[in-house]
Amino acid sequence: MLFNSVHFLFFLPLVVAMYYILPPKFRWILIFISSCYFYMCFVPKYILILFAIILIDYISGLTIEQVHDKKLKKFYLVFSIVSNVALLAFFKYFHFINENLEGVFKVFGATYTPTNLDIILPIGLSFHTFQSMAYTIEVYRGNQKAEKHLGYFANYVLFFPQMVAGPIEKYQTLGSELKKEIKFNYDNFSNGFRLILFGLFVKMAVADNIAPIVNEVYANPMEFHSLEVFAAIVLFSFQIYADFYGYSTIAIGAARLLGVHLIDNFKTPYLATSINDFWKRWHISLTSWFREYVYIPLGGSRLGNAKWVFNILVIFFISGLWHGASWTFVVWGLLHGAFYLFERLFNYLFKVKIKEGFSVLNLFLGIKTFVLVSFIWIFFRAESFEKAKDIIKAFLKNWHVPLNQLQINYALFFVLIIIITDVLLYKSRIDNWLHVKKPILRWSVYVLLLFLLMGMSGMDNLPFIYFQF
Amino acid sequence: MFKKVIYKSLLLLAVIALVNVIYVFTIYPADLKNISSCAYQCKNLPEGVDIVYFGESSNFTVDGNDSTQLYISELIQFYAPQYKMVTIDTPAVHAGIYKYWMKEMKLNLPKAIIVTMNLRSFDGAWIHSKLETPLIRSVRLLNNKPKIVNRFLLSLKNAEDLSIAERDSLLQKEWRTNRLKFPYQFKYNTVREWDNAMANGGWLKPDGSWDMDKITLAAHYIKAYAFNIDENNPRIKDFDEIVAWCKENGVQTYFNILAENVAKADSLVGKDLVFLMRNNRDYLVNRYSKMGVVVVDNLESAGINDFLDKNWTTEHYNYRGRIAIAKKVVSQLKIK
Repeated sequence: MLFNSVHFLFFLPLVVAMYYILPPKFRWILIFISSCYFYMCFVPKYILILFAIILIDYISGLTIEQVHDKKLKKFYLVFSIVSNVALLAFFKYFHFINENLEGVFKVFGATYTPTNLDIILPIGLSFHTFQSMAYTIEVYRGNQKAEKHLGYFANYVLFFPQMVAGPIEKYQTLGSELKKEIKFNYDNFSNGFRLILFGLFVKMAVADNIAPIVNEVYANPMEFHSLEVFAAIVLFSFQIYADFYGYSTIAIGAARLLGVHLIDNFKTPYLATSINDFWKRWHISLTSWFREYVYIPLGGSRLGNAKWVFNILVIFFISGLWHGASWTFVVWGLLHGAFYLFERLFNYLFKVKIKEGFSVLNLFLGIKTFVLVSFIWIFFRAESFEKAKDIIKAFLKNWHVPLNQLQINYALFFVLIIIITDVLLYKSRIDNWLHVKKPILRWSVYVLLLFLLMGMSGMDNLPFIYFQF
Repeated sequence: MFKKVIYKSLLLLAVIALVNVIYVFTIYPADLKNISSCAYQCKNLPEGVDIVYFGESSNFTVDGNDSTQLYISELIQFYAPQYKMVTIDTPAVHAGIYKYWMKEMKLNLPKAIIVTMNLRSFDGAWIHSKLETPLIRSVRLLNNKPKIVNRFLLSLKNAEDLSIAERDSLLQKEWRTNRLKFPYQFKYNTVREWDNAMANGGWLKPDGSWDMDKITLAAHYIKAYAFNIDENNPRIKDFDEIVAWCKENGVQTYFNILAENVAKADSLVGKDLVFLMRNNRDYLVNRYSKMGVVVVDNLESAGINDFLDKNWTTEHYNYRGRIAIAKKVVSQLKIK
């Protein structure tokens, strides 16, 4: 079920109403059923994959806790990780692996005929597997007690507001949130509403008004003037941000209506002053996951500079691959890694120290970071290297192509709004920001948001980009 | 606390009402023009129009070599110059869309409307066509809800915004399960059975091999015309709604049943298919004549060579076909 669907607008209030009517001890059943229903609205049979993940990690968690032998503990942890990764590899990377094997065989003069399987990637599989793996790792590390109630554990993996595109939560936070006996609370209700309203606005009005322009240019970049290609490159930065930020905000808002607090996934990433800063603000839950479960176990920065550089590149390599089964995503990740390392080296050599807050230097650094990130997004958005090359070529060389083919006024208007809201929300979140404002200002914002959302949203009803991961 | 929620919810509804007013006076006219230009045309119909002609591609498709390039509606105007006529047309539309457009004619009502009645538009292949989702979306702004709600629904995924795969599955089901009705024993119960039989025992070439082109075309004719119209057909409900609206507003109603290539259907598939085509035509003529509509029966007005598309079922005619249809419409026009 999409958040930007009529279906969801009926589903959510119904679930919320039933949630507070039911006695707390039965609420997990409601969350379980409604989450299954939510997921089954996409491809019903794929719920079985989720059940498999739940069972594997539920049993693994219990077993890891029960056995005392360290080797056995490790064995069950590896079993859980391998099972999750294998599921992900099969559904997400099967064709990618096959294609690459074919290429490798060709290099050595051998033939390899790829097996053609009709596989559709289950929506949000990368999110479920990562969240579920986080649980077994935490149990293995002794930071989390194994959950004995299968229903609660299932809800941790299935919780519908965040099941298909995060934020990726730890059991310590989401698990305990789902177990709380929550009474109806007006603040949860009003903040949840604010977050959902703002999230829908960001997705449907901002991202969906930008998308058609970006799609048009990326479909045939060579037909557009360099300035228009430049506009599309910049606009995609805002599209992907608004799309994912909108989703995350709705997810946090929907959970909040049920009294559940989810972690923030975005903190004004385009106001970042460096690539390092950007990753502290963009898809925060995934960055934290990689830091805790890959980077630190690899040794982090503790084992010398060479190992640290290697670890950084590994993280960005995996991050790229996590996003999509294509080398363009890997290049996207590695470019982030390369620029990250370059900036760190530059700052070290020239002893640059960046202070927080507004300054001319920070403004300059912010623009520099945005330009870099926008350039790197080309590899994320382009379906192939050829397409990415075309985009860059068209941007550099198409000054002779007639201008004025794109109508971007509408999109620029929404970009301006998102920049203003980011500046306003630099140290806050929309719900908290509105909470302390006077009612007249608060309701004026509602009127504006409702008008822009209901009267000016994009009309193509586009699914969330991150659902494909 | 619940009182507070109810109070705030009511306030929110008031805000939405306010937003609706702002929308109607600011963006709505541009949205209507952009999303449903035909409805916008209806809304801004000039004064003193006698007839509005509602049509699809049958109206404006011409052959470059034709001796006259006039459309059907232009030919009607040519043969009936005493009437002031306006044409509103766009490809692939049908009564389910016309009914929304005409309801926009509020300020300046015409004396009469001529509505294209395309036999194939009653068929599953058209009802479940991939064009249906964009068509439905094109009239969503005209639904009987506050305009801001309609506009919002346009941006959300709706239940009726079916994907191509979902529509195809509905069509396949219809072909598989809808039983064909004949007043005599007929060997095939469904379109699927008839289609399979044609595919497995259809036309042969003189050299004894399967004539696949002819078999494909015959199978296509079966899929396009093998159905029985009854009152459960969604198009019937649409045409009924049009009749009711016309009566309510004192607008004379003409339904123009378009010509189909009956002779080709006969030669490719046989009398049974022709029976269904004529039977459906009779049903429409009887039903709507009883309701006071002038039903112009053009089903067999065009000859086998008057169709532009020789290898497909369309209602695209050369000048002879268009003239024949226009003349028949004009012969029945009696605008009061």
